[in-house]
Amino acid sequence: MAVLSFLDRDRSIAGPGFSRWLVPPAALAIHLSIGQAYAYSVFKIPMTTLLGISAPVAGDWQQATIAHMFQVAIAFLGISAAIFGAWLDRVGPRRAMFASAVCFSGGFLVSAVGVWQHMFWLVILGYGVLGGIGLGLGYISPVSTLIKWFPDRPGMATGLAIMGFGGGAMIASPLSVALMAHFKSPTSMGVAETFVAMGLIYFVFMMFGVFTVRLPAPGWVPAGFVMKTGSNRMITAANVEVGEATRTPQFWLLWTMLCVNVTAGIGIIEQASPMIQEMFTGKVTAVVAGGFVGLLSLGNMGGRFIWSSLSDRIGRRATYATFFLLGPALYATIPHAGAISSVPLFVLCCFVIISMYGGGFATVPAYLRDMFGTMQVGAIHGRLLTAWSTAGILGPLLVNGMRQHEIDLGVPKSGAYTVTMYVMVCLLLVGFVCNLLLKPVDPRHYYRAAAGDAPSTGGSEPAQSGTAAASPRAAS
Amino acid sequence: MTAPGQPVRPGGDAPDPSMTGKLVVAWAVVGIPLAWGVWHVVLNALKLF
Repeated sequence: MAVLSFLDRDRSIAGPGFSRWLVPPAALAIHLSIGQAYAYSVFKIPMTTLLGISAPVAGDWQQATIAHMFQVAIAFLGISAAIFGAWLDRVGPRRAMFASAVCFSGGFLVSAVGVWQHMFWLVILGYGVLGGIGLGLGYISPVSTLIKWFPDRPGMATGLAIMGFGGGAMIASPLSVALMAHFKSPTSMGVAETFVAMGLIYFVFMMFGVFTVRLPAPGWVPAGFVMKTGSNRMITAANVEVGEATRTPQFWLLWTMLCVNVTAGIGIIEQASPMIQEMFTGKVTAVVAGGFVGLLSLGNMGGRFIWSSLSDRIGRRATYATFFLLGPALYATIPHAGAISSVPLFVLCCFVIISMYGGGFATVPAYLRDMFGTMQVGAIHGRLLTAWSTAGILGPLLVNGMRQHEIDLGVPKSGAYTVTMYVMVCLLLVGFVCNLLLKPVDPRHYYRAAAGDAPSTGGSEPAQSGTAAASPRAAS
Repeated sequence: MTAPGQPVRPGGDAPDPSMTGKLVVAWAVVGIPLAWGVWHVVLNALKLF
């Protein structure tokens, strides 16, 4: 459609005098919006009394039922990121961000009708399916663009954007509570109205990102930046296509690393509030546990920026080695913190663990770029996010299942997490081994451009990919 | 902003006088809501101590 031609890749090439520092806020606008997903739980209790208002009545939804909203959304995040990654690299970030905004905001509007008519399948279709597709598209859409704008600091750039996904819940949570309080009436919990308001607010906010984002001109590199040939063979100047990348052992090693890191982190996030209350019975109330959960979200957000920025200095392999060595030490310390009843030690351990959970997410796009080049890094990142969906199922299953198993064996609740923590230690050590096994991609997987055969980067960097295709080059 | 040996795009490196203002606005648009959210979290987290 002509009216949507402003979304075309060619129309989003940066003009004269454009500053690349406008791209991170554009990316943040998307990630801060879709990060709302982490705050969906604020709707859980109000949605259990949609009919009864003051108390649940027959026909009202159960909390366990409402939890499916989030599960479906995260599943569709992984599926859509994997499916649409290659499309995104072809059409450019602006169209993909627009599609994300339409799906994510549209999901809220459809869900609002579902809440209003009390039809749960419509809520799942809206928030879960449509919103989940918006999540997946939005999550990966700015990543490859940022990597192209910041070849000198890819970790920091993607960390800035992905930090937004961690920070989005911090905005969404108080915003949702305030909106529900505003719209609540004797006949309504205010949920449907809040969904409508949030859908509109997020659409406007995400459109700011759509209009602001730009692609660098073909062949553009920052002043003074040169891909140096050196001893660091873990960074390639070559490119690998998405289909070819998934046939390399490097992809599956990275997939496993992300999966174990997320599984371990989700284990803490999912159980944070009950865990601290059960491990420190009598010392920590529910209100204080709420503060602990908030602190973890700060660690999650801050870790995304700090660890990924650090990875630009010490390298991706060293950063992940830190996650997989420091992480086990901290997990092993948690039972000790419980045994000596030290809340500060427990909080410190969890805070650093969650910072590394976020750091793992934020550093992985740069690791992918190091291994597979920039050409289809968005699509490859999309495929890799299936590890997240897998971990999203594995993590809670593992933690809840093992805790229940321990309790069934007669272990007191305060000690029911000990075995789980040691399982997490083992998982992270598996990740450490995978990280050690990572070697540069075999040159036979590299993309070799035939004459007139433009790769699906949409031509944003043909000069680089063309010259780099035949020979791997290293950079510091 | 152009690498050595690469052709300079016409006007590609020319400064945009309104760019500073655009940068301030863009970072404020995302920074203010984020700061508001962080403030709420910090207030809650203080209950821990």
